[in-house]
Amino acid sequence: MKNYIVHFIRGLWSLLVGMYTTLRVFFRKKTTERYPENRKQLVMFDRFRGELVLLHDEQNHHGCIACGICETNCPNGTIRLTSEMVTDEAGKKKKVLVEYQYDHGSCIFCQLCVRTCPQRTLAFIPTFEHAVFTREKLVHKLNREGSSVAPKPVAGSSITA
Amino acid sequence: MNISIQETVFFALAAVIGLFSILTVTTKRLLRSATYLLFVLFATAGIYFQLDYAFLGAVQLTIYAGGIIILYVFSILLTNQQADEKLERLKNSKVLAGAVAAVAGAGITLFLLLAHPFGPSRLASGEVPVKAVGTALMGTSKYQYLLPFEVISILLLACIIGGIMIARKR
Amino acid sequence: MFDFSIITRWIDQLLRGVMPDAAATVVECVLIGLALLLGYAVIALALIYVERKVCAWFQCRLGPNRVGPFGLLQSVADMIKMLIKEIIEIKHVDKFLFGLAPYIVIIASVTAFACLPFGRGLQVLDFNVGIFFLIAVSSIGIVGILLAGWASNNKYSLIGAMRSGAQMISYELSIGLSILTMVVLSGTLQVSGIVEGQVDGWYLFKGHLPAVIAFVVYLVAGTAETNRGPFDLPEADSELTAGYHTEYSGMHFGFFYLAEYLNMFIVAGVAATLFLGGWMPLHVPGWAGFNEVMDYIPSIAWFFGKVGVMIFVIMWFKWTFPRLRIDQLLRLEWKYLLPINLLNLLLMVIVVVYKLHF
Repeated sequence: MKNYIVHFIRGLWSLLVGMYTTLRVFFRKKTTERYPENRKQLVMFDRFRGELVLLHDEQNHHGCIACGICETNCPNGTIRLTSEMVTDEAGKKKKVLVEYQYDHGSCIFCQLCVRTCPQRTLAFIPTFEHAVFTREKLVHKLNREGSSVAPKPVAGSSITA
Repeated sequence: MNISIQETVFFALAAVIGLFSILTVTTKRLLRSATYLLFVLFATAGIYFQLDYAFLGAVQLTIYAGGIIILYVFSILLTNQQADEKLERLKNSKVLAGAVAAVAGAGITLFLLLAHPFGPSRLASGEVPVKAVGTALMGTSKYQYLLPFEVISILLLACIIGGIMIARKR
Repeated sequence: MFDFSIITRWIDQLLRGVMPDAAATVVECVLIGLALLLGYAVIALALIYVERKVCAWFQCRLGPNRVGPFGLLQSVADMIKMLIKEIIEIKHVDKFLFGLAPYIVIIASVTAFACLPFGRGLQVLDFNVGIFFLIAVSSIGIVGILLAGWASNNKYSLIGAMRSGAQMISYELSIGLSILTMVVLSGTLQVSGIVEGQVDGWYLFKGHLPAVIAFVVYLVAGTAETNRGPFDLPEADSELTAGYHTEYSGMHFGFFYLAEYLNMFIVAGVAATLFLGGWMPLHVPGWAGFNEVMDYIPSIAWFFGKVGVMIFVIMWFKWTFPRLRIDQLLRLEWKYLLPINLLNLLLMVIVVVYKLHF
């Protein structure tokens, strides 16, 4: 009998505690983002993986040496590198990136390419408005027009997407 | 041809009672039968309300429509594996026996109705006050019903104990 | 305070002036029916909106905010969608019972709705057994739910219906007993009489301890009775998809949906009537000036304000507590609520007999 009453009162108390907790949440500031309206001030978390980019510095240099590690590591075949052999002034043969093709539509954002890049020249940026009307538009060319490989690795230099 | 609203309502209710009573016993599906019975009970409650006896009407609704019918439906759902199958036709002899019983019952009821001298109502017109109902149920003098009330409650108690006994016997 | 019976009497005299009494009665019945159904639908729409907003706020969200300002037109849009949806015919079901079930549920709900005192002189059904009649008609809804579950020819629906039946029959006892406790205090079953009796203070304050216990028990049992909140086993989306109304579509489903919300309104309305004085303003005996000021607020606003608070509490239950298991549900009723209720009834009788109430 004593047990019964004690259990009852304890249960009632725990229910009241629960109701107090939810009532506090009720009056808390709401976390909902009203997306199209708050477009201007909406900031994504920096860990959000929106889209792969090849980092370029101010002189339009990127760090890609066309080694193809990212291409082989990509589980989906999302990355396709086109490269050519160029002989420089010193007569050395060197592989040079022609086109870094990235298919956004088949990327699973696993970040294997970024992790394995020996030059640290790949990164994910937190953009998120990616909707397009055809799948072809999802295939991006990541190296910019007229860009060239940097004389030194650009890791740590200013990041421009 | 001069029918008041009261009479119209009464005849409508009577027609509903008659129609659904017949449907209750003639339908081949158990659950439909229970549903038709529900309508009969609704219409009966309607007649009580028409007689300005709201207490009995409410009791009719809560005990019969809300209680008994639900017990019926429950017991049909719990016991009958083929609640949705149609029942087979009764044997002719059974139909005959049923018809005779029905006619005899109707005859007795009619005889009593016609032969009974209905006295004037003891209560003033209008709704029966709940207080009167309560004192009549709980009093011991003439026209008061404490004894039947208690006897029925003992009967119900016996029913509950019996039900538990049957349920416990595995 | 404004008395709505002035308006109704005026309409009555107007009608009786232009047509015979019998025809006037019929026209009045039709008018009252239309007004009731209109009020029913509007309140249901408002409640659906409020439920979604309150639910969202409890979960730190904003809720509907796209259709109309603050999402106010959301439930109107939902209603239009519901009205134009196809009613799907299920194979191998008893079509008569399948079609009948939602109507039984909605009729029971509308009839109970008609017993509520919305304001001074604004009550449709006022029998001398009013509150008992209200319990009686609201208990009919169970039949509709059982029929719906059985007629759907779907085992989940049937389980939902059986749970619903067991739950509603059990909790009706608690509702009945807690209402009985208050009837002992008020000394009448008539709804208008109960409201008039609270002119010098609401029963929740007049009956102090037993009234407060009855109030809590009533709220718990009422929440269970409407198949809501932590007691939503009959629907239990995660176990039974939607329980007894899984197979229903279009407006047939709409009827169940409406009845569910309006049953919540009815439970809240009865709580407001029995414990918080219905449309009666807050009166404190002895404070004449305060009472006068309170009288300026219209009675209908008082009623809807109290009902709103009660509805908020019921929603608060729903969005706070996790769902009970069926055995926990029945244990709560038979081992806790019922004994407490019986003791409380005894306590109330003692309080009333020895005049210990205010």
